[in-house]
This record gives sequence, C-alpha cells and structure tokens, in this order.
Amino acid sequence: MITLRNVTKTYPPDVHALRGVTFHIEPGEFVSIVGSSGSGKTTIAKLLSAEEKPSEGQVIIGEWDISRIPHYQIPTLRRQLGMVFQDYKLLPKKTVFENVAFALEVAGDSSKHIKEIVPQVLKIVGLADKAHRYPRQLSGGEQQRVSIARSLVHRPKIMLADEPTGNLDAVTAREIIELLKRINEFGTTVVLVTHDRDIVNALNRRVITVQKGEVVSDVAKGKYHLG
Amino acid sequence: MRAFFRMITFALQGIFRNFWLSFVTTSVLFLTLVTINAVLVLNVLANASIRAIEDRVQIELYFVPGTSEDVVKSVRGYLIGLPQVKDVTTVSADEALASFTERHANDAEILAALNEVSGNPFGDALRVQAEHPEDFPFILEAVNSPEFSEYIKDKDYADYQTVIEQLSAFTERVYWGGIGLAAFFGLISILIVFNTIRVAIYTHRDEIAVMKLVGAKDWFIRAPFLLEAIMYAFAATVIMTIVLMFALFSLEPLITRFFAGVSVNLSQFYVENGIALFFAQWIGLSLLGVATTMMAVRKFLKT
Repeated sequence: MITLRNVTKTYPPDVHALRGVTFHIEPGEFVSIVGSSGSGKTTIAKLLSAEEKPSEGQVIIGEWDISRIPHYQIPTLRRQLGMVFQDYKLLPKKTVFENVAFALEVAGDSSKHIKEIVPQVLKIVGLADKAHRYPRQLSGGEQQRVSIARSLVHRPKIMLADEPTGNLDAVTAREIIELLKRINEFGTTVVLVTHDRDIVNALNRRVITVQKGEVVSDVAKGKYHLG
Repeated sequence: MRAFFRMITFALQGIFRNFWLSFVTTSVLFLTLVTINAVLVLNVLANASIRAIEDRVQIELYFVPGTSEDVVKSVRGYLIGLPQVKDVTTVSADEALASFTERHANDAEILAALNEVSGNPFGDALRVQAEHPEDFPFILEAVNSPEFSEYIKDKDYADYQTVIEQLSAFTERVYWGGIGLAAFFGLISILIVFNTIRVAIYTHRDEIAVMKLVGAKDWFIRAPFLLEAIMYAFAATVIMTIVLMFALFSLEPLITRFFAGVSVNLSQFYVENGIALFFAQWIGLSLLGVATTMMAVRKFLKT
C-alpha cells in the first residue's frame, strides 16, 4: 500500500532531512512514525501527502509514484488520502458542514450526495448537532473531529495523521486516538506521525522510529523508545 | 455547470463573510473610478469651453459699399464650398456697422475715426466661421484671390489672430495635459488596485493551502477569487454610476451657471456614452482585478 525505497530528502544547500529511508506498510495497518523534533518524521508525512518530492529514492502510495507524479494529478491523489493535522487546517469562514462538504465539492460530487453523506460523517465523529457552527466556535478537540470528518468523506484507504493530538489535552487526545482506531477497524490504513509517548505506548501497534533522518527501528508491536 | 454554480456560491460567501475586506477592496476600486471620471469630466468641460470659444471666433469680410448682391452671394457660395469653412452668414451694411462698433467699443481711436466718416462706411459683410481656428489663415488666403479681392474692402481678423494662436496652443496643452493626467492617475490607480487585491489574496493564503490539501484543483481554488474580483469591479462601477447620476443632477445647474451662456451638456455626454462607459470601466477594472488575482493566487498555489 505504502512503500518508501531508499528515500533521501535534501534541502538546499545541504540539509539532509532523510537518508536512505526504507519501509513498507500493508493495507489495514495502524502504524506510528515517531521521533524527536527535527528527526525527519514530518518530512515523511509531507512526502506521503505529495507536499514534497524525494531528492532520491521512491515513494509509492497505492498506484502512485510520488517521486514522478505530475502536478495536475496531485489533487486526485489527495482526494484518496485522508489527512489530519496538528493545527486542524479548517477553513475559518466556512461552517462545520461546509468544511466537510468542501472535500466532496472539490471532487464534483452532487449536492444531493453531499447532503446525505456529510451528516452521516458528522454523526460518526459526534458533531451532528454542531454542523452550522464556525471553527472558532468549537473547542480544539471538536475542531480536530471536524478535520477527521473531512478526511473521512471520501472513504479513504489511507489516513495520514500528522501530530493530530499536538494541541489537545490528554483526555481529548485519547478520544481522537480512539476515533482513529475505529476508522482503522473499518479497514482504513492509518499512519500516525507523533512524538507523544503515552499515546504510542497505549496503542501497542507497529512503531517506526526515525532519528536524524534515518529509520532506527521498526517494531511490529512497539513502544515509544528513542535510543 | 454544477462547478460553476459552486464557484459563484464560494465567491459570494467570500465577499459577504469577509465583509470588511470586501468593503475596503470595493472602496479602492470606487475611488479609482472617481479619479477616472473626474479626469473625464474635466476633459468634457475643457472641450466644451474650447468649442464655445472656437464658435465665437470668426472672420468678417466687409465688401466695398455698393457691391452687388450677386457678388456677395458668389463669394459666400465659394467660401461655403471650402471644407475648412463651417458656416457663412450674410450681414447687411447696417448690421456690419453695429457689429463693428460693438466689437471696438473700447477702442477710442477706431470709434473716433468712425465718427469722422459721414454715413455708413460699410457695405454688406460676410461672417465666416472656420471648422478649426488654424484654418483661418487658409480662408483669408482664399478670399485674397484676384477674383474677389477688388470687392473686399476689409478683413476683420487681426484682433482674433492672437486669441486663435493662444487657443490652438491651449487646446493642444489641454489635450496632452488630459492624456498625461489620465495616464498618471491611471498608473496610480493600477498600483493601488494591484496592491489591494494582493493583500486581500494574502489574507487567504492559509485557506488556499488547506484547499490544496483536501484535493482542490488549481482552477477550483482560483475561480472564486477571479469571480470575486469581477464582482468587486461590478459593485464599484454601479456605485460610481449612482454617485455620478446624483452629482450630475445636483451640479449641472451650477456648472451651467458657471459657464454662462456656454452649452456644456455634461449630462448629455453621459446619456450618449453612459452605457459604453459603464462597460468600459467594469471590464477595465475586472481585467485589472483578474490579472492581479491570477498573479497573487499563483504564488500560493505553488506549494
């Protein structure tokens, strides 16, 4: 499903964010990519969302080769990925409903379909009663739920969550992780990029540890451990 | 079609949900149009003034007393056939005397000389109006032909010579000055509109990034901003038209009084050219807005 093969990412003039990173993620897995600040884990997230291209090596997502993907095909790729970010990345002038609907509108879905699917997804994330609020009228946890709802409307095969709990308190963070686990149980591959030790340890799933741009461990049922 | 309606909806949402930004952008576009229309009105007024003065400038050809009516008619016919001549009026000897006296009312020497002559020294006269002030020397040359010169006693043109020369120079200065002024304000307006729209797009940079991340294609992101630019231009042009109509209604009597006796016809100018001006201003502002938006959005679409 996701393959990184000898991936190197160098930023000019000579900052090596990643060096020879190789791993493979199977469909339906729940994988945490961990590492301290500056380790290169966010660069991996950016490669997976096609925000960056590798300097060397290959990044394969499904049938897409990110290292060669033409600019005009990136939107199509992103519609097949669910993406959740630390800062939620919601559109501030759109309501909860409109934020979620936007992901379908960009793909040209009909208004009828949007009116059917958006309330269902909002119900899944527990925000059915807040559809007409604006992001500024929601708590951090609620905003992250909107972000998850938006990433779910396309029924993505892969969900990429980059520090989704970074701005949340411990209780809300656990709720968000529970939501991601439920999404994973429905068959979606979840890639969680985080530096939250408690969350990773509680998950007890596969952990890929990145340090100084290199993969230093890849354990099937791992704990958060930085050498 | 569905995508188009969505873009219209997004554009309208963008305008009304960012009300103050929309207000400022429309205001700047409106002020741009105020500048353009002010230059336009000044140009119309200047042209009307020049036209009025031009209409009053004329040559009077005084015939030798006793010249037959046929000769006067034939000179008139010859002159009216010249493309440089706008109109020729026949003036009787009495009218010619009255007109001469009136025009030289402040010239004591001429009046004294006139008093010394017994009776009416004038014959019939022709009052000639030229199409353009610079045509007078040509017309004078034309009536100097041997065929007519023996019947023409005097040509009253010298008094106007300086006025005509000054007027021609003034007309040219107003013309080039108007173009220069319009170009200067046009350039300032373009820079202001350019920067205002760039700032407006800059405030949306995070939104553009989010739209890209959820899979929006470039044209889907760009189109609502372009439509917004066209809508801002439309709103500014409509407001300008309404303000202009009120200004014309309330100021035209004052302008007419100021230009006593001169037909300025400012409202007539806008009645005749209003629709063309409306679309020219709307399309002009829209093109400026669209070009600026394309450049500003492109910067944030690169990521």
